[in-house]
Amino acid sequence: MVSVTIPADMWAEDMEGVISAWLFEDGDKVREGDLIAEVMVEKTSYDLTAPAAGILRILVAPDVPFRRGAEVARIE
Amino acid sequence: MTAATQTKPPGDASASANRSKRNLTIAKAMAEAIGQEMRRDSSVLVMGEDIGRLGGVFGNTRGLIEEFGPERIRDTPISETAFIGAAVGMAAVGMKPIVELMFVDFYGVCMDAIYNLAAKNCYFSGGQVPLPMVIMTSCGGGYSDAGQHSQCLYGTFAHLPGLKVVVPSNAYDAKGLMLAAIRDPNPVIYMFHKALQGMGWLGTVKGAITDVPEDDYVLPIGRAALVRPGRDVTLVGFGNTLHHALDAAADLAGEGIEAEVIDLRSIVPLDRETILASVKRTGRLVVVDDDYQSFGVSAEIIATASEGAFAALKAAPRRVAFPDIPIPFSPALERPLMPDANKVAAAARQVCKGN
Repeated sequence: MVSVTIPADMWAEDMEGVISAWLFEDGDKVREGDLIAEVMVEKTSYDLTAPAAGILRILVAPDVPFRRGAEVARIE
Repeated sequence: MTAATQTKPPGDASASANRSKRNLTIAKAMAEAIGQEMRRDSSVLVMGEDIGRLGGVFGNTRGLIEEFGPERIRDTPISETAFIGAAVGMAAVGMKPIVELMFVDFYGVCMDAIYNLAAKNCYFSGGQVPLPMVIMTSCGGGYSDAGQHSQCLYGTFAHLPGLKVVVPSNAYDAKGLMLAAIRDPNPVIYMFHKALQGMGWLGTVKGAITDVPEDDYVLPIGRAALVRPGRDVTLVGFGNTLHHALDAAADLAGEGIEAEVIDLRSIVPLDRETILASVKRTGRLVVVDDDYQSFGVSAEIIATASEGAFAALKAAPRRVAFPDIPIPFSPALERPLMPDANKVAAAARQVCKGN
């Protein structure tokens, strides 16, 4: 099991971000490096890629705020 | 059944073989198509406001300047007159410029270059000076950006001979239409709807995010897609309104009304054959358009049905469109005026009533 976390340096200031869109469904097979979600902070968006291959388990729904370092999914 | 599964080119087994699912937003699909064509063809370049370092305010050029550099991914000053005029000249001498008109609402200052130069020079030159350029532009409202940043204006461009006009409803189509637009020898107006772009702050319609092949493929301009078959009423939509039509069709199915849904994908050329064949089967037509109601795409489609399928019509066609007023800033005013699935379903019930 690999944790999918928001990198501490994804954005500079200590603001809240949200997942604007998951690009895979919960339970989908993903490859390492696949773009799995878009993260939005204010009006800027960032790419979230899969850190490993496996089955995606989504923990945080779109539009639910989090801070950098948050775990938003797991890959089994 | 989704638009994406329906619009895959027939016989294109290689595109689905040997690859796993990969969902993209329309913004990413557009950027990927542009990047692929730039690798293949050194005459392709991109110009516009904030399309370089920022990657486009709607995300559709993200990552390109890092790969291709500022010569081919050119941030321009705020002068659509200058850079769209320049693009017409570049296209005339054999380059393939893609320019971004950030909001379609801004077309006023650059329209001479578009409709008097780009649209007409191929005709004036007897075909000797083709204008292979793409103007990509954002359209649509729904997020309180008021009357000068929320318009669609499909009909404005569709009215002028010499321009092709495409409007993707999902990421699969967005990539195939972009590759077709860049390779087309004519000027193509590529209108992408903000609500479908995958930028969170504009809201994102989930159906616009689809599986997109990594390989390059072309979606022929001028071909509509039948995205949901049904026998009772034809719903015609495109871009964002296609999703209203699909949602309405799902609601209507629960009431025993089987709606057929057509995604135009291209407004010019308009696939009248697909529309007519469907209307001849169902006898009923509802058109959904988030542009102003009068003198637009919805009128053209209803005229097409009247001219070509009059005998088959069992009820007067109806349209769901934005009323003929400037788009309000207030969310309390704007949202209720916009087409949505409930209005489409209500119109469909009306045309099906009594039959």
